Amino acid sequence: MIAPIAAAGAAFLLLLNMIRIFAGPTLHDRALAVNGTLTKAVLVCAALAVATGRTETADAALALALGAFLLGVAVLKFFRTGTFQAPMARAGDD
Amino acid sequence: MLQLALSLLGGLPIVAGLSLMAGGALGVLRFPDFYTRLHAARAADGPGAAIFLLGLAMASGELSIAVRMLLLAALVIAAGPTISSLMANAAHAGGLAPLAGHYRAPRPDARERAP
Repeated sequence: MIAPIAAAGAAFLLLLNMIRIFAGPTLHDRALAVNGTLTKAVLVCAALAVATGRTETADAALALALGAFLLGVAVLKFFRTGTFQAPMARAGDD
Repeated sequence: MLQLALSLLGGLPIVAGLSLMAGGALGVLRFPDFYTRLHAARAADGPGAAIFLLGLAMASGELSIAVRMLLLAALVIAAGPTISSLMANAAHAGGLAPLAGHYRAPRPDARERAP
C-alpha cells in the first residue's frame, strides 16, 4: 500500500531532475541530470513492480539500470575522446 | 502477520530514501557548479536509492520481487560511484574548471572580505 506513494514520490523527483537537463549550462551537467533521471525512472519502475506484484516489471527495472550504466559510460567516453571510434593503439606504435 | 509487519516497517526506509533523494535533487538544482552538483547527486542519491530499494524489498510480499529489488540495490550501489568518478574525470579532462573563490590571507586592514 506504500508502493504507489513511493512511485509518486520517485516520479516527482524525476521531474525535479529533468529541470536540470533543460537548464544545465554545460554538457556535463546535462549528462549528470540524464543519469539521475534514469536512476529515478528505475526507481519508479521498481515501485510499480512492487505495487502491481508483477515480476516482469522488476526485470524491466533491472534492464533499465544496466542500460543507463552503459549509456553513461559510452557518453562520457565520447566526451573525452570526441569520437566513438577511439584508436586502440597510439599513432607510432605499429 | 509477518508480511503485514514487514510491509508496515518497509515504509520507514522508503520515506528515508525519498527524503535523501529529495535533498540530492535540491542540490542538483541549486548548487552553482558542476562539481558541487555532482557531489550533491552522488552523496545523496546513491544511498537514497539503495535505502529506497531496500524498503521496497521489505514492503513487497513476494520473494521473487524482493530478490530482484536486492539485486537492483546492489547494481545501483556498484554503478553510481563508477559513473560519478568517470563523470568528474571526463569533465576535468575536458577542461571544465571548478568554480573556486579566491582565497586570501586575512589582513587587518582589508576592506572587503573574500567571497
